[in-house]
Amino acid sequence: MTATSFVLTVHRDGETLRVSHRPGLSVREILDATPLRVRAACGGSGACGACLVRWQAGPVNPPAMAEYLKLDAGERNAGQRLACQARPRGDAVVVLEHPAPPSPWQSLPADDLAEGPGPRPGWAGPPLGLAVDLGTTHVRLALWDIRLGKRIATRRGANPQGVFGADVLNRLAAARSHPARAEELLTLVRQAILEGLRDILARDVGEVTPMLAEIGRVRLVGNSAMLALLAGRGVAELLEPGNWSRPLACQPEDEAVWRAAWHLPHADLALVPPLAGFVGSDLLADLLAVDMLAAPPGTLLLDVGTNSELALWDGQILWITSVPGGPAFEGTGIRHGMPAESGAIQGVAAAAQGSRLDVIGGGPARGYCGSGLVDAIALLRREGLLKASGRFATAPGAEGYRLDPDQPASALTGADVDLFQRAKAALAAAMVHLLGAAGMHWRDLARLHVCGAFGRTLDPLNAQSLGLLPPLPPGRLSTRPDASLAGCEILLLAEDGESRLAEVAGRARCINLALAPDYDEAFIEHLRLTPWRDGFSAGMGSDYN
Amino acid sequence: MPHVDLPAIIQAYNDAVFDTDKDQAFQIVDAALAQGLCPEDVVFKVVIPAVEDMMSRITQDPDANLAQHFMTAQIAAEVTEKMLPLFRAPPERIGRAVIGTASGDLHSLGKRIVMGCLKSLMVDVTDLGVNVPAERFVDEAVRLDARVIAISAMMVHTATGEQGSLRVRQLLRERGLEERIRIVVGGAPYRYDPELYRQVGADAWAPDGVSAGKVIADLVRGRPPTP
Repeated sequence: MTATSFVLTVHRDGETLRVSHRPGLSVREILDATPLRVRAACGGSGACGACLVRWQAGPVNPPAMAEYLKLDAGERNAGQRLACQARPRGDAVVVLEHPAPPSPWQSLPADDLAEGPGPRPGWAGPPLGLAVDLGTTHVRLALWDIRLGKRIATRRGANPQGVFGADVLNRLAAARSHPARAEELLTLVRQAILEGLRDILARDVGEVTPMLAEIGRVRLVGNSAMLALLAGRGVAELLEPGNWSRPLACQPEDEAVWRAAWHLPHADLALVPPLAGFVGSDLLADLLAVDMLAAPPGTLLLDVGTNSELALWDGQILWITSVPGGPAFEGTGIRHGMPAESGAIQGVAAAAQGSRLDVIGGGPARGYCGSGLVDAIALLRREGLLKASGRFATAPGAEGYRLDPDQPASALTGADVDLFQRAKAALAAAMVHLLGAAGMHWRDLARLHVCGAFGRTLDPLNAQSLGLLPPLPPGRLSTRPDASLAGCEILLLAEDGESRLAEVAGRARCINLALAPDYDEAFIEHLRLTPWRDGFSAGMGSDYN
Repeated sequence: MPHVDLPAIIQAYNDAVFDTDKDQAFQIVDAALAQGLCPEDVVFKVVIPAVEDMMSRITQDPDANLAQHFMTAQIAAEVTEKMLPLFRAPPERIGRAVIGTASGDLHSLGKRIVMGCLKSLMVDVTDLGVNVPAERFVDEAVRLDARVIAISAMMVHTATGEQGSLRVRQLLRERGLEERIRIVVGGAPYRYDPELYRQVGADAWAPDGVSAGKVIADLVRGRPPTP
């Protein structure tokens, strides 16, 4: 979160959206990361004139050249602006009369994006490149001009396979049940990626079909299950635990068929293979993005998603594992849980009376995303309303306890807290196990990276108070919300991407926690809503003696 | 001999278990021993009744959470393990069960609760681990003279799969062991469909790990399963 931020208020047909943003962005850039987007067809150069908004209040830069060309004096005097040219210089209010049709695709917040590996003057292939981070819940895309080393645009949308279940195992089982189901799952996600790509081409390039032929390179990272479903290979293998520690073949068998199905006739298309059945290439991408092998020993990376993956670098070996238990952090299974989208409670702070909710978009709360859930539970603990066991001091009844009495969706139930406890205990037990494998104590950790959207608005102190993260000084914690995509961009663009990937894989040692005898005990120890203790890395036994 | 306030100890211990506070539970046990309560009484008058007390509280209480299930079993097992070597004579064991997760299933936590409870209930239990082939369940039960095979499955496809409980039933039938060895199943899929245990050829099931301890102990004793 940046220190200074402005609030843009957007009125549209009686609806009001409030977005906080950092200074310097255009109205279009601000709205692209929300569901309420302006119309657009030129990538923000001002050439199409489609992104009209009416300025109502607040400081803003004077009209730009493009606006003199596209708007007449009457329109300019009436406060009409092109959203791609108008940059608020403080809190501002605009009216959006003709928004773009609703779309499931939004741009990624500009602050989350890494810089990218730079231009590649020698690139002779078709100029565009696409990086895809295929997650269980979300799909993230970035379109690049490879030669110039310029990111054209990014998108994030839901993975439509969610209709088959939030859990990867449900989707794998569905795919195994019948070839038609497998085909359906594959088609859903392929169509989604194409749709996101078309959205970028339509809004940020200006042409769709001809531009598909200009895409010369596509790289996809994801967890093993998503890659297997997309490739149509390895699904049955993944349902056999004996295969979880082995590498998984997920390259398409016939590339020509693939290119035709994707409508990308000239693309060199590759799925970056996972490290093992339970460690996806999304984690490998994270590790490239943070340059793990150059990091100080004792660097721990968590990628919190539907499945959480972890890697600990001890200077020689990269210890890697994964645990289930992320869904609670993405809102799945929580009564009023939801992804970090408009209407989600992303933060909760104590207030004179009860608490103050920080809701994305500023409207009424629709539910909690992961960071809001952490804040809410931490606050309930601090105020003594919730006990370390996870039980409410006084049972709140079936509806749950409302953090804000006026907001029904701010209610938390005992079952919600229970689910959170399991998720955080799984994550903590996995960290403890990796530290044990490396012969380290949590105090030895030089740096802790929290990757995945969850980290974006996470309050580390609250997370530490509940034992979700070890109690390291704040300076050793960092968040990298879109590290997987950033790593995928390195593989798409950097000439040494492949060799760096091979180096990372060469240092990796994967641990299957399902076969680790001390994992269960560590899990149980970490169910309580208390901070980590000194003894948590060594021995894990009880303090009884 | 100093005065032992057993009701107060039981109350304090039960509260600690209910609050999932293991350190507190051990402090209470320490204090009880210091007051003069013998290790046998710690197990039979405090720990085992607490497991049964939690069992009824948990099944009647919609707010009971997983941490409470785990800690009930964990604390009971740890205290019992600490006390057993201190017994004047080895306690009488009820009999043996073998336990594991079904073929294809790596979810080991449910089984852990069951094992913790069985230990405190004086049932010898052998852990066959995770992803256990049906043949191994039967072979080990025969080798160890176990009366119960307990199979945990957390996913529908491992609960109903042909290599899971169904196959164990088939093997027991083929080898003429059905009268001697009973099958108990547990795990999430059985909670969604209380009749599922019959379809997979089991003799009994339990909705949670703590109750499973009781169901298995009864079968090991040779009591018929309560429907």
